[in-house]
Amino acid sequence: MGNQFVLIISASIFCIGTVGFLIRRNPLIMLMSVELMLNSVNFLLIGYSSILQTLDGQIFALIILTVAAAEVVVGLAIILTIFRTRHDLNVDHINVLKG
Amino acid sequence: MFSYAWLILALPLLGFIGLSWFGNKISKKQAGYAGCATVGLSFLVTLAVLSELLALEPEKRLGHVETLYQWVSSGSFKLDLAILIDPLSVFMFLIVTGVGFLIHVYSIGYMKGDPEYSRFFAYMNLFIFSMLLLVAAADFFFLIVGWALVGLASYLLIGFWKEKTSAVLAARKAFVMNVIGDVGMVIAALMIFQNFGSLSYMDVFSAAPDQFRSNDDTMVIITLLLLVGAFAKSAQIPLHTWLPDAMEGPTPVSALIHAATMVTAGVYLIARCHVLYELAPITMYLIAGIGALTAVFAGTMGMVQYDIKRVIAYSTMSQLGYMFLAVGIGVFSFGMFHLMTHAFFKALLFLSAGSVIHGLNGEQDIRKMGGLRFAMPLTHITFLVGAICLAGVPLTSGFFSKEAIIMSSFHAEMGNIVFWAMGVLTAGMTGFYIFRVYFYTFMGKSRNPEAHPHESPKIMAGPLLILAFFALVMGFSAHWVDQFLGPVFGVAAHHYEDSMLEAIVVLAGLGGILIAGIVYMTSKDKLEFAKQALAPIYDVLFNKYYIDEIYDFLIVKPVRAIGAFFEQKVEKEGIDYVVDQVGTQVRGISQGISFLQSGKIRTYALNMVVGMVAILLFVVFL
Repeated sequence: MGNQFVLIISASIFCIGTVGFLIRRNPLIMLMSVELMLNSVNFLLIGYSSILQTLDGQIFALIILTVAAAEVVVGLAIILTIFRTRHDLNVDHINVLKG
Repeated sequence: MFSYAWLILALPLLGFIGLSWFGNKISKKQAGYAGCATVGLSFLVTLAVLSELLALEPEKRLGHVETLYQWVSSGSFKLDLAILIDPLSVFMFLIVTGVGFLIHVYSIGYMKGDPEYSRFFAYMNLFIFSMLLLVAAADFFFLIVGWALVGLASYLLIGFWKEKTSAVLAARKAFVMNVIGDVGMVIAALMIFQNFGSLSYMDVFSAAPDQFRSNDDTMVIITLLLLVGAFAKSAQIPLHTWLPDAMEGPTPVSALIHAATMVTAGVYLIARCHVLYELAPITMYLIAGIGALTAVFAGTMGMVQYDIKRVIAYSTMSQLGYMFLAVGIGVFSFGMFHLMTHAFFKALLFLSAGSVIHGLNGEQDIRKMGGLRFAMPLTHITFLVGAICLAGVPLTSGFFSKEAIIMSSFHAEMGNIVFWAMGVLTAGMTGFYIFRVYFYTFMGKSRNPEAHPHESPKIMAGPLLILAFFALVMGFSAHWVDQFLGPVFGVAAHHYEDSMLEAIVVLAGLGGILIAGIVYMTSKDKLEFAKQALAPIYDVLFNKYYIDEIYDFLIVKPVRAIGAFFEQKVEKEGIDYVVDQVGTQVRGISQGISFLQSGKIRTYALNMVVGMVAILLFVVFL
């Protein structure tokens, strides 16, 4: 398992997440895309932790997982509330803050 | 030993607070009685203090400072909530609460028809409290507090009939004039603190003679600044214009404020600070000069007015001029003695005039009165008593006090023949103008057939009779007052005996009365002839020397013009323009860039991605 392998896999997953976030209109899918982006970074950290034989990267990964979980909770709660009031989850229609 | 003396101040304050809070919950009668009771009780406490003070040796009567508690203690600056009990302050307490009480009782009758009865008594109590605080203060700080409160109370009372425009304007004028004086007082107090490191009378007066020599610049400036305050309160030239206008208030107010108490504050101030003034003989000369000038000047104006109260108001100014003359030439106890006799006979004159106005349902023009001696016999007598006292007919109180001052103005060290001549001239004019009013009002036949004058009720007659009694007999207390106040001023003033001069003064007063009699009691033609002959002088006097107009032209108009300039040019076209432009510009820029705020999450995300990629490229390739 070389350096390049880890980097390419991580970058690919990150790009998939980014593109997914940009093109999908369903906020649930968008949240999943965000998770993909986060986990690409996790992958990178764990990979390098293994290559460099240190534990730092794994600890960071655990922290990121925790934060991501908390973030999703908040995000899902917001999505739920929006759906209850609007019965519509298309993010392009959620634009009351238009300047 | 005088700790209960606080009650003198506390009672009227209690009356004010009580009447302001519960005034509309109690009946008119209760409000009136409550208002009188507080002042009456205060008078009784004063009597108790007086008796205790008299029991002491004359030298031990000075400087009893009663401290309630220490209010401020900051570094070297200490301020106690304290009152000073000495013969001078007790003397003033007696006048303020004694005459004040009689005027309160009179007001019960006079204000009967007024819907805002309790408000009136609340203000009157506030006024009494402020005046007592002014005279009781043991330091310059509380002196100024009392000074300013007196100004406030007079503003409220002059403008009591607030639906009357002229009353509101008069109140405003009085307030502005008084504040000019307050400013002088505050600066003086600051200078005193700078020079002596204390505001307490005791510290300042004991340190002053050692620290400064006679006519030291600092001393002259301090005394002059205090004098600004004294002139403003006591309506001396050039700050006198508010007093005649202040007659817009109810008549008891005129009697209380513009005869017996407030206007005498200036005389009290100079007497209280006599240590400082004795160190500044230049200022003393100025006081004597202005006093004599005001006496003559106000006398001339009083001779041609037709409003009964205005004539008496001018006579107040004129008599205050005498008091200033007295303190100016250093005979302080004569000044205070005249202050007391004047308080009695002037309150009497005002209240009698009030009784006339009351009996004629609000008429104040003496040309529409006449023949009232039959309809109002009692008021006729009391007014006559007041008039002879004012004119200085021998053996009345006015005779003794005025005599002492005019005599000293010639014989005392600082006196001279000019002051004396002005005093005598004023005495003559005084006799003339007050008897002119008397003849117009009470003699001859009624000039207004529609008027149905009636005598005033008993509650108004009582105070009139008491005041008349004191106005007649108080002159005989001259020696006692001199002895009582002597320790305060170091030595008792010397009584000069000079039967020649005495006769001249008396003749001047009687001559004035006689001329008034000739002019106003005989044919109308003589009056018209005199008026025609003296028309130019008459016009100047009737228009009060055009001083109001001069002030209007010199001060009010320029200030208005500056105000208008600042409003139009600086405010509207300067400051407002800048503020408006800030708003307009921000709005314009915001409108230009508001498209960025599309409200679409995906656009924002794309922007972020593009930004991040740009930063990445920048970091990697540059």
